[in-house]
Amino acid sequence: MFLVWLLAVPLAGAIAALIAPNRAAKGVAAITSIVALIGYAGLLFINRSSVNVPWIPQWGIRFHLVADGLSLFLLGLSVVLFVVAIVASNRDLGRPYYFWLLFLEFSVAGLFVAVDLFVFYVFWEVLLVPVFFLLTGWSGEKGKKAAMKWLIMNLAGSFFMLIGIVALAVIHHQDGAGFTFEISKLSGMAMAPGIGSWLFLAFLVAFAIKAPLWPLHGWMPDTYRESPAPLTALIAGVLSKAGIYGILRVMIPIFMPQFREYQTLLLIIATLGLLYGAFLALRQTDMKMVTSYGSLSHMSMMALGIFSLTRAGLLGTTYYMVAHGLMVGGLFLVLGLLEHRTGTRSLRDMAGLNHSAPRLAFYFLFFVLGVLGLPGLPGFAGEYMIIQGLITSHFLVFALIAGFVLVVAAWYMIRVFQAVMQGPAKSSAIRDLMTRHVVWLVPLAGLVILIGVWPAGITSHATPSLYHAMHFVGQGGGVRL
Amino acid sequence: MSSALWPEYLVVIGVMVTMLTVIFSQKSGIGAYFVALAALIASGIVSIVEWSSPNLPVFLFDHGVMVDAFSLVVNGLVLLAAAGALLIGWNDRRYGSDFPVLVLLALLGMMVLGLADNFIALFIGIELLSLPLYILAASRGTQVSGEAGLKYLLLGAFSSGILLFGLALLYGASGTMVISHLVPSHLVLPLAAGGLGLTLVGLVFKLGIVPFHMWVPDVYEGSPLPVTSYMAFGTKVGAAAILMRFLFFGFSLSSGWWGPAVGYLAVLTMIVGNLLALAQKDLKRLLAYSGIANAGYLLVGIASHNIQGARALLFYLLAYGLAVLAVFAIMTFVAQDRDSVSVNDLTGLYRRSPWLAGFLAIALLSLAGIPLTGGFVGKVYLLQAAWFANQPGLALGLVVGAMIGLAAYVRPLQRAFSAPDGAVLEPIPWPWAGSIVLIVAVIGTIGLGVYPTPIVHIVNQSAAFYWLH
Repeated sequence: MFLVWLLAVPLAGAIAALIAPNRAAKGVAAITSIVALIGYAGLLFINRSSVNVPWIPQWGIRFHLVADGLSLFLLGLSVVLFVVAIVASNRDLGRPYYFWLLFLEFSVAGLFVAVDLFVFYVFWEVLLVPVFFLLTGWSGEKGKKAAMKWLIMNLAGSFFMLIGIVALAVIHHQDGAGFTFEISKLSGMAMAPGIGSWLFLAFLVAFAIKAPLWPLHGWMPDTYRESPAPLTALIAGVLSKAGIYGILRVMIPIFMPQFREYQTLLLIIATLGLLYGAFLALRQTDMKMVTSYGSLSHMSMMALGIFSLTRAGLLGTTYYMVAHGLMVGGLFLVLGLLEHRTGTRSLRDMAGLNHSAPRLAFYFLFFVLGVLGLPGLPGFAGEYMIIQGLITSHFLVFALIAGFVLVVAAWYMIRVFQAVMQGPAKSSAIRDLMTRHVVWLVPLAGLVILIGVWPAGITSHATPSLYHAMHFVGQGGGVRL
Repeated sequence: MSSALWPEYLVVIGVMVTMLTVIFSQKSGIGAYFVALAALIASGIVSIVEWSSPNLPVFLFDHGVMVDAFSLVVNGLVLLAAAGALLIGWNDRRYGSDFPVLVLLALLGMMVLGLADNFIALFIGIELLSLPLYILAASRGTQVSGEAGLKYLLLGAFSSGILLFGLALLYGASGTMVISHLVPSHLVLPLAAGGLGLTLVGLVFKLGIVPFHMWVPDVYEGSPLPVTSYMAFGTKVGAAAILMRFLFFGFSLSSGWWGPAVGYLAVLTMIVGNLLALAQKDLKRLLAYSGIANAGYLLVGIASHNIQGARALLFYLLAYGLAVLAVFAIMTFVAQDRDSVSVNDLTGLYRRSPWLAGFLAIALLSLAGIPLTGGFVGKVYLLQAAWFANQPGLALGLVVGAMIGLAAYVRPLQRAFSAPDGAVLEPIPWPWAGSIVLIVAVIGTIGLGVYPTPIVHIVNQSAAFYWLH
């Protein structure tokens, strides 16, 4: 019931925003996102009953939506970030902007709760469209090129996944087990080794492009550089998690033997990505790009957690996705505020801004510390669990490298903070934050602290769902405890 | 007179009445359009009623034609195409007063192609479809239009000759004219192989399959817009239907003869068509190459040679046709007096007419195969067919083609949604007839994507050939 609410409200709100007068569009969008947030509260505290109705019965496709431990908090993350992103957007961006934002919320919500592969894929691909139009219409000068790259790279991956999805269903059918796209029914299916590896690759590429994971991150720099701050926050905070979530939700139950087979290779690639992102972040002079490459590195960290194939690693990733989403979303929004005030993003042109904008400096520091993994804030707990998972799986080398990258992360994040906020003021003073910014920054920061000091709030829910997913893995090839 | 053929009879009556109307009301020829539309609607209603009747299939004229659920669905598709062309070109005198007559005549040819169970009926259908289209292609009277008509005529006649030669060889090899009576084991081999090959060439020429596609872009570019939409949708339905009848009914047991060839042609067409679409600046040429690529997708259904393929083919034809009708309706609105639209003409369409830009986005995204549109469901259906046939190569070709095609469709879209450089900004008028086509096509496209179940049910019922599984 609340799941339907979470899908229907943004969709209805999107249409309302399209019809509303230009000046009212932001109000409509903000109210819609808050109503969706209320629906999420209902889902969290009152009733989590799933939705399961036939959609295309001839092909065994059911509109099956479930909010379990894997998806529940990602759903929360997206609902919260959408409220913040809409509130933080400019009033005069016009109706279509808010239409696309709400449409994006609809497709993201659908993506996180779908457990039928076909439905999952529909939402997976639909969410590319609003981002494409947002990049086309409301971004920097190279926005069109970025939009093109975003759509084509992501769709290229998705199309391969589509072959994989149809193949899974057809193989399941040819085994005499009926035509279905339900993930739980497709899991643990016997596949010929050759086919299995190819399908594994098709899914992995699609998810890795969305995340993005090195070396499939080609769309990322342009998109992050050109997009407006609220959109960057959503892409980095929510959409990138969709890729990792897809690996957890779809690939872990279905492709466990392949994960086992290619584990070392996958870990090596993820580690390379971890280092690549971190060192490029160190070299950037654009503060947004530091955060972007840092985010790329952190996505690889999440992938490492999954590829460790241990309970701690998977749990850490589940938790870290939510934590990282909140923090990096907040950080990109703060950077947006900063850019709006200074008119530049270059580290060379800024210094000592904490004198004129102490409050801004405080929130900036807060999110910087969160992203770099200060204990007490949620980044630490997530990274700790992932490294624990790597050690449990006896891949000590990768655990050491991950630990080393944490130090590099502290280095590049602090470097940005120092360059922008500390030292003698270089340029003229800027305006500090106003109440209308603080109203969304405070709850966001509060939420970050809450899950930072109480990780069990998420992990205790995620554990049963992960067991559920892993259960299907069955004999021999399971996950290390 | 058999009652099973009433949809066709109604069109014949429509042709005659329309012709008389044209003759007797030379000045205000609007009546002819209404008569033609009425004939289309009547024929459509009869087809729908007949579809649910239990006494199908019906063989008539000593296996000359067969009326079954499949042919009735083809009727529905070509009627849609004809209605679309008629309404897009509604009362547009530039195309001559006999425009509605010719549309109906070509429609009759397409309908015959859906029914044909006999070489003669097949050939008549092809000719009846082609001759009016030759005239229609040249009907604008300008030099480009005439050139398109002549090119179409010459190449079409050439391909008809090949087709006829192939059919003659097949008759010599088998001793029968009836497609469903061909028994591969009784054929005289070299003759039959040659006949099959030549007939296939003749038929895929009409469908616009690489390497027999050279005529498509030139003819599409030169023909008037409503005629192009008719060729892009209606001709493809007719050609795909007869190709399926011919191969699935006549050569089902010997699919080893043609299966691989058709499969390779399909992959080649999907990739070449989409690649060439990338380079186009003229929207009509882009649509022409997109039509070639889409013909490749249709061939996937045929190359799969299973029941899913037949069903996917029908479903995809509808999804493709609706998207094409929407794009052509929008092109007519934008073109106004001209007869071509370049990609650049779309610049700032969003500012001039937001709804038109939105509809264009839906139609192009459907052609690109984005979910919640009919094009996506159609492609999934085709992928299923390819996998059921254990032909991953076809599936791979389809998605690689779709990937390339995506880039081609996105370019005009980005144009439409970017701000103009201070150029013309006057809003675009919506002619009512074209608007009907546009709105029906857009609603249909979304409907097919959001709730395809009824249409899937219909195509599953209609393509239920017992010898395939």
